[in-house]
Amino acid sequence: MKKIFALLLALVMMSACAVAETVNQKDEAVLNIFTWEGYIDYSTVIQPFEEETGIKVNYATFASNEEMYEKLSAVNGGDYDIILASDYILNATREAGLMQKFDASIVTNYSNLNPDFTGKFFDPANEYVVPYVSGIPLIVYDPSVVEKEIKGFNDLWDPALADTLGLIDDARVTIGMVLLSMGQSMNTTDEAILAEAAAKLESLKANIHVLEYENLHNYLVSGDIGVAYTFTPFVAMALDANPDLKVVWPEEGLGFGIDGLFIPVNAPHAKNANMFLEFLLRPEIAAVCAEWQYYCSPNAAALEVIGDWYKARPEFMGLFDRMDDAEFVLNLSPENEQKFQDIWTTFKLSL
Amino acid sequence: MAHNRTLEKADARRNMLFVLPMTLFAVVLVALPLIYVLGTSLVESGQDFSLGATFTLNNYKSLLRADYLQVFFNSLKLAFFTTVLSFIIGYPFGYCMARASRGWKALLMMLVIIPFWTSALVRIYGWKILLQANGPINAVLRSLGLIEKNIKFLGSYGSVLLAMVYCMISFMILPCHSAVDKMDFTLVEAARDLGSKPWKAFIDVTLPLTMPGILAGCVLVFVPSVGIFYLADIMGGGLVLVGNLIRDQLLKVRDWNTGSAMSMVLILITAGIYLVYRKSGGDDLGVF
Repeated sequence: MKKIFALLLALVMMSACAVAETVNQKDEAVLNIFTWEGYIDYSTVIQPFEEETGIKVNYATFASNEEMYEKLSAVNGGDYDIILASDYILNATREAGLMQKFDASIVTNYSNLNPDFTGKFFDPANEYVVPYVSGIPLIVYDPSVVEKEIKGFNDLWDPALADTLGLIDDARVTIGMVLLSMGQSMNTTDEAILAEAAAKLESLKANIHVLEYENLHNYLVSGDIGVAYTFTPFVAMALDANPDLKVVWPEEGLGFGIDGLFIPVNAPHAKNANMFLEFLLRPEIAAVCAEWQYYCSPNAAALEVIGDWYKARPEFMGLFDRMDDAEFVLNLSPENEQKFQDIWTTFKLSL
Repeated sequence: MAHNRTLEKADARRNMLFVLPMTLFAVVLVALPLIYVLGTSLVESGQDFSLGATFTLNNYKSLLRADYLQVFFNSLKLAFFTTVLSFIIGYPFGYCMARASRGWKALLMMLVIIPFWTSALVRIYGWKILLQANGPINAVLRSLGLIEKNIKFLGSYGSVLLAMVYCMISFMILPCHSAVDKMDFTLVEAARDLGSKPWKAFIDVTLPLTMPGILAGCVLVFVPSVGIFYLADIMGGGLVLVGNLIRDQLLKVRDWNTGSAMSMVLILITAGIYLVYRKSGGDDLGVF
């Protein structure tokens, strides 16, 4: 009996220590980042921040925006100090009250950002989100395999491209591409237009060889496909591996995305998070981020100090010429989201 | 007598102590989450499983759609082919391993075990490189003059099946091997002595005697195969499997109630397969 009592006592003491630790955490020099694997470089960004401020950075990863949202809701907007995710989920997170405003007295260099990238739907009053990188999915193709010149989305339906396309395995992005080819919005919820898009998608079936969310450039470089519609960094990586590839800025319109950082509503180290946002907005740091992540930079001051090789690449800089044609994929209600998923499921089942 | 009974009681109490951690583990980490999934699948859309939630079977009714049934069928079909191919390749492998000399046996066993030391993901990416259009396999076929144009293996149903069989086959080989290993081969010799041809002796004696191993292997391959979806995704198969459907329902549509109902159906299917297996006299596989 005595032994059991001693054991219980030990347990109580241990949990008391644990409670004490959470209390101390408030003024700890710690920053908990939550984002995709490899999205913020350690040696060029996190390590210099740690050395400058003495704040220890912990880096936790998620696989998808949706996973982030579920985890953040589960901890009621706590645990993490900085989250980096995509525009539509940023909007859902803000609408759910899971964000806190950043401290403009610490984040003094917000004005470094190009105004074309701020005031967007996920943060209309520029209070919550700091844009980090931006991208546009583009068509990239191998002219040694594809004889026809591709100018836009509608060329993808050409019978000469049978079994040569690689598309993004995502309902919203790929049905959105079909909608753009029809001159419609990527965010339409009109049943008749969606039914038309479903039929048009169906007629693209014979040309599709592979559906994959990421890394479509590998299939292009290995010769498994001749044409890919994929995200900015993968377009750039494809060009690194094979400079003869051609990039197409579709004439019908463009998809557009911004990945941004925010502080969760119950972040344990909000002050450190604000300091990190300030740090990331510095021109030289933002430039390094864009160069590392192979994305377009929303930071105007960064583009003045960024490497010449970066400025010479149209896949990073061409965005500024087409800003008005670019459309975000917005977050929709579950019922409308279901419409897109249903079309996508039916389509994939028929492949 | 009285003394004995106290001892028995003490024994029982001590046994309880040993069983307790495992029971706690099973209840907290397996049973409770499953009950929560079951509960979530039985309340109205958008509600959490808690007091005051409205009971409904609509989440299950909403699964009765031609395309969802097709998805379940796809998963079962892929699992079936995976099992059949694993058996066709795995049984002879297990048989040879059991009948081989000590040195060979150790070598073959190593070949089965060593892949477990590396993540399945890494090994599948290895296959992707081998299979890609300008990869080594096409290069060999071309230099042998067997093909003129590169074959696009990736993205085909066959490439998905290859990845599945590759990842699952050890679960077929090991039970088949142990069944053949334990078998009394004097019975085969007796059959041969009585004039049976080798293949006839195999069909009449070896196969029935190793059937428990085969069945165990089939269950061990089939059940996880129904739920796996990442292999098809990596090979670019573009298949919609139950796993994809549940993931999209939970994370993209964010309808946890329907997603939970899908999960319950998947659990019921696998539990059903296991029950049929046990009813037909299968070993307990160390599961229950």
